Amino acid sequence: MIELETIRPFFEDKKELLAEILNRYPDYGRRSAVMPLLWEVQRSERHVSEARVEEIAGILGLHATEVKGVMSFYSTYHEQPLGKYHLQVCSTLSCSLAGSDQMYDWLVEELGIVNGETDRDGLFSLQKVECLGSCGTAPVLQVNDVYYERMTRSRCKEVLAALRRDELPEPWLERGGDNVSAEKAQIESES
Amino acid sequence: MKVKVNDAELELKAGTSAIDAIFAAGYDVPYFCSQEYMSPIGACRMCLAKIGAPRKDRDSGEWIIDEQTGEPKIFFFPNLMASCTTAIMEGMVIDTLSKEVKDAQNGMIEFTLVNHPLDCPTCDKGGACELQDRAYEYGAGQSRFVFDKRHQEKHHALSELITLDRERCIHCKRCVRYFEEIPGDEVLDFIERGVHSYIGTLEDGLPSNFTGNITDFCPVGALLDSTSRFRGRNWEYDHTRSSCLDCAVGCAITIDARTGRIERIKAARNTQVNNDWICDGGRFGHEYVDADERLKTPLIRRDGKLTPSTWEEAAAFINDKLADLGAKETGIILRADATLEEGVAAKALAAQLETGQLDHFPRLAASVIPQGVRATLNDVATSDAILVLGDVSEEAPIVDLRIKEALKGVTPPELMPHGVPLADLRLKERMPRQREILTVASPYRCDLMKHAGSTLTYPAGTEVELLASLLQAANGEGEISEEAAMRLGSSPEQLNDLLKRLSGAKNPVIIYGAFVLAASEASNAVQALAKAVGAKLLAIGPMANSYGLEALAVLPSHARYSVQEMLRGSAKALIVSGLDVAKDAEAAKALKELELLVVHDSFANATTELAHVVLPAKTAYEKEGTVVNLEGRYLPLKPAPVENGQSEDFCGLVKFLGETMGTRLEGRSVRSARRLLKKRLQLDLSELSEEGYLSPAKAKAASKFKLKESYELEGNLLLTPSMIRHEQLSRNAHLHAVYGDAALRLNPADAVAQDLNDGDVVAFELQGIERQAVIKRSEAVPVGLMLLPALPEQPAALLWLEPTKLIKAAVAEVLA
Ligand code: SF4
Ligand code: SF4
Ligand code: FES
Ligand code: FES
Repeated sequence: MIELETIRPFFEDKKELLAEILNRYPDYGRRSAVMPLLWEVQRSERHVSEARVEEIAGILGLHATEVKGVMSFYSTYHEQPLGKYHLQVCSTLSCSLAGSDQMYDWLVEELGIVNGETDRDGLFSLQKVECLGSCGTAPVLQVNDVYYERMTRSRCKEVLAALRRDELPEPWLERGGDNVSAEKAQIESES
Repeated sequence: MKVKVNDAELELKAGTSAIDAIFAAGYDVPYFCSQEYMSPIGACRMCLAKIGAPRKDRDSGEWIIDEQTGEPKIFFFPNLMASCTTAIMEGMVIDTLSKEVKDAQNGMIEFTLVNHPLDCPTCDKGGACELQDRAYEYGAGQSRFVFDKRHQEKHHALSELITLDRERCIHCKRCVRYFEEIPGDEVLDFIERGVHSYIGTLEDGLPSNFTGNITDFCPVGALLDSTSRFRGRNWEYDHTRSSCLDCAVGCAITIDARTGRIERIKAARNTQVNNDWICDGGRFGHEYVDADERLKTPLIRRDGKLTPSTWEEAAAFINDKLADLGAKETGIILRADATLEEGVAAKALAAQLETGQLDHFPRLAASVIPQGVRATLNDVATSDAILVLGDVSEEAPIVDLRIKEALKGVTPPELMPHGVPLADLRLKERMPRQREILTVASPYRCDLMKHAGSTLTYPAGTEVELLASLLQAANGEGEISEEAAMRLGSSPEQLNDLLKRLSGAKNPVIIYGAFVLAASEASNAVQALAKAVGAKLLAIGPMANSYGLEALAVLPSHARYSVQEMLRGSAKALIVSGLDVAKDAEAAKALKELELLVVHDSFANATTELAHVVLPAKTAYEKEGTVVNLEGRYLPLKPAPVENGQSEDFCGLVKFLGETMGTRLEGRSVRSARRLLKKRLQLDLSELSEEGYLSPAKAKAASKFKLKESYELEGNLLLTPSMIRHEQLSRNAHLHAVYGDAALRLNPADAVAQDLNDGDVVAFELQGIERQAVIKRSEAVPVGLMLLPALPEQPAALLWLEPTKLIKAAVAEVLA
């Protein structure tokens, strides 16, 4: 008989983490742990495979369909592994009016991939997302967890060039129409 | 509470939803997401109304008065409200006719149609589509949407039974809520979000016994019954409301037939029995009716060959034979889903022939009429402590759903002027379930156990011991010992808890099926237990009219004339209706010796091979008549217009026989049978209401239960009841595709020991009957036990089968 290679359960060697997550919720609200569990998997594997969906369903005593329903609702979770740099172009109204469509088109041209795709080398993934909550500084490009605001063609080129050198540029944060340095933005947001 | 809907004032109970107030007042609003028996969620925004209410002054506690009218001032909500999720308030004013509401309705219809393909001309739902109707009644008739519509999969097979058109879906969420709320298995969900959302599942082929119901209430043509797709439009079907005869529940169904063929079966409403639901076995199990090989003409054996004939000739042939024979030696066997009227006919024929050899089958050792207080299905749904003995989900599937209703702790809704409330505000999405009220005991792990607070897998055949231990403890005649409980796969705590729960409950119910009915001691014990703890009883008989035929006493005059004895030589002539008794090799031997064998059936089988006369029988969907379900409820059967040649029910058979005998027998027609039954029951069955009539319980003294040392119920193979009728499975193509051939289920450890793999086909002889089954390993089956589906000719029982007798059928043989 052919033994199929079995995938090791993700949480098998993470018992403590699992217990910690489950402990955040009362017994009747166990279902709520679906989000943090999905996030753990997404963060470490850059996607959530069907096997993981089933594993999470098993842990929480749900049907896999239910977990999939939650997972597919959020653009945070991905079925296919993401590239190293996940380019998220805001395509909601403010950004759209400020030119995010052109930015998207340009990226498609540059990278040779469209919405939802990852390039062959696994370096870039491109995704249109909804409002990133930074409408005042539209248009916004998010790379992994970093925001680049008030994007222009030249800034876009700059960011892409850096990423191709495998460098993630400093976040580009702006406020109230003034250029704000990363440190300053940090300080301001903390105060 | 007083509310005013447009110009109508009415008095309604607190907690009523505004949409129900609107309908109760005789007005209408369009709606898509609300659905009877399910939670209101306010998702479709179609039921918008302008709603207001008077307000009390905070300080004085007095109603705030409108200066101009002197009446309490009505404060309207700033926006239109979804009437399905708004509860009525004292003095509420609901307006559904103003321009504001009309505009909102137009707008919502336009939104809903934005991404709807409008392929009505090729849609099965056309003419019976809620979206079509509502768009026509409440839409502006124009769309301003000039862009491309969303494109999605149009023929997605959710399972072999259900096809989904994702473009037509309007995201009302009825189907998604249904699975979580009614069968309690969330196997369908929205995938993705917003305009991209679609209905989908990760589960292989929707694993639930109740999937077909979603095709009934999907408001559009998104979810369709695959057996009837593209076969007709709603207005082309003849709709016949009848009752399902596939198990002892007797759900209300609508049979949709066209040009003499049944195209589909839908659930009909019976608020006392099945609400709006039926099981997949009952819904999809009709395809056999139209099989090519259906018998449609009487056949008489001439020179060894069955040759086509007429009813008159056949009756004359039978009459001649019987005259030669001395009719006393004739036996009559009915299948246990024969109607009461057929029962009357059979009794009249037996009386005419002066024979006591009359019986129905399958009939188990114990009576299916509980001696004690009977429970109704609504009692089950309102119970606060339920003990289930056996696998009800397979045996009487709707009982499973009614139990799950009880777990929600919400009593069945009170009917309103427009029927079942559209939005019962007591129901919520993902309600907490009170699992602790349910205990399930069965010889193997069954489906319902997932929903039970307490489960118990006892060794097959120990039903009597289990019940006896409980009874003893309940009567204070002895503690349950650790050892005894262990033997039963339980613990003293578990059993004591169960007793406490049952005796402490307000409305406890004990539900039992074939495994208990197989032994009269077990049945006596369960009745004694019910008495001791004050529980009501619901017994699941083997077939749709087991209750009725027993009550009517379609029974042998003496135990030595039972079916088993008739088949072993007590009769010289036999009339058998609906049973392939010759499956049993030994019975076949005896049948060959008969002077006369008359077979009344819809298909050729081993018994017709031996028959002298074969008479074509009507199926359950073609009969007029009455059956009595497991509660003791009389339920009506109505014939659908199905092309069945010269098929007759047993009344027809008796009519022809009587005519040749020169007498007019009671039961020669449904009408004549009903005349007799009217005298007997004080009940005119031709006027039976759609929801049936619950017969008054006759209090009978429970037989005493006496404890014995041993009950000799042993075996390693359990014949189990199943939702699927296995005798017709090969002719029910769609069900067959989902459920496959009959399976022999056993524990993986046993399978390894016997060198059996999943999918192996085994053939073996079981009590004289040749059976074939596919091996299915299952952890649900305890080590040492095998499960095999029962047949009408081989009902639920515990038997011995030497595992070495399981012979793997050669692949060639299987293919042939
Ligand atoms: S498939 Fe039908 S029932 Fe399900 S959400 Fe869509 S329209 Fe509603
Ligand atoms: S539960 Fe029984 S009566 Fe109801 S549909 Fe299923 S088989 Fe028919
Ligand atoms: S619209 Fe782009 S961040 Fe809000
Ligand atoms: S919002 Fe759908 S019926 Fe009320």
